[in-house]
Amino acid sequence: MKDTDDSRIVELLQRPETRRAGFEQLVRQYSEQLYWQVRRFVLNHDDASDVLQNVFLKAWNRMDSFQGDSSVFTWITRIAINESLDYVRKQKLRAQNTDADLSLARQLQADPWFDGDEAQALLQRAVASLPDVQRTVFELRYHDEMKYSEMSKLLHASEGSLKASYHLAVKKIYKFFKSHD
Amino acid sequence: MKEEKYIIEKAGRANPFRVPDGYFDTLAAQVMARVDREGVPAGSLCVSPAGRPAKVRALRPVYYAAASVCALLLSAAVYLHFASGPAAPGAAQAVAAAQAPDDGFDEAADYVMLDNQDIYACLSSDY
Repeated sequence: MKDTDDSRIVELLQRPETRRAGFEQLVRQYSEQLYWQVRRFVLNHDDASDVLQNVFLKAWNRMDSFQGDSSVFTWITRIAINESLDYVRKQKLRAQNTDADLSLARQLQADPWFDGDEAQALLQRAVASLPDVQRTVFELRYHDEMKYSEMSKLLHASEGSLKASYHLAVKKIYKFFKSHD
Repeated sequence: MKEEKYIIEKAGRANPFRVPDGYFDTLAAQVMARVDREGVPAGSLCVSPAGRPAKVRALRPVYYAAASVCALLLSAAVYLHFASGPAAPGAAQAVAAAQAPDDGFDEAADYVMLDNQDIYACLSSDY
């Protein structure tokens, strides 16, 4: 079903007269899924909403970069992950002189759109402290339960290196939990 | 992996985040409004057809390299064709000319092996 939807969307995107309609279909089809992927990186709802809009705008402006060698969803997910990581990096640069973990703990506590318990907040803090690659692999594997074969196509990395990243990420998160026990 | 089991037992996999009511209902309209405002015109984009074989994309650098080499060989052939004099040789002769030993090249090769004193000596002589 997804493949048929993707082919239909690509057909519409190819012709200037149907491009907008095709793009709107793409937005309706994938926006919720992409939102949650972005949200897990940027944490705050308003920021996630901004980043997601930037993702779609970038996807529209760079439609030429879609070469048809992956699905439309894979292509736009790559844009979403890159935009999310860029946003997180900029946030870290702005908060250079502050304790990032403490700041995040306070942020989650104060966030009306975060319903998690203490353990879930601790998990978010642990994940936020990971390097970009480990964080991305962990989010995709732990929350989305993505297969390594799919992840390999998405991130252009070998399955072996992805498994190693996940393994390292889990070890670090475990250590983080133990240190806060 | 015992560490993964520990994390799952402690924090689970449930989504701890919420969104305002109706957020997803208006999201597509908001995105399209922004695309209409800030996006490039639809007609200026060129979208590839889906399903282009990955092999074709993977070979693209090879095609570029091959095209560059061909362009270089063609330039060399054209240069040699005009540099060889008024009589325009046929295609076979042009190829033969390009392949023939070039005494000038040997001189140049010898030249670059000269040290400064030798070079000065050559320049000051009656060549």
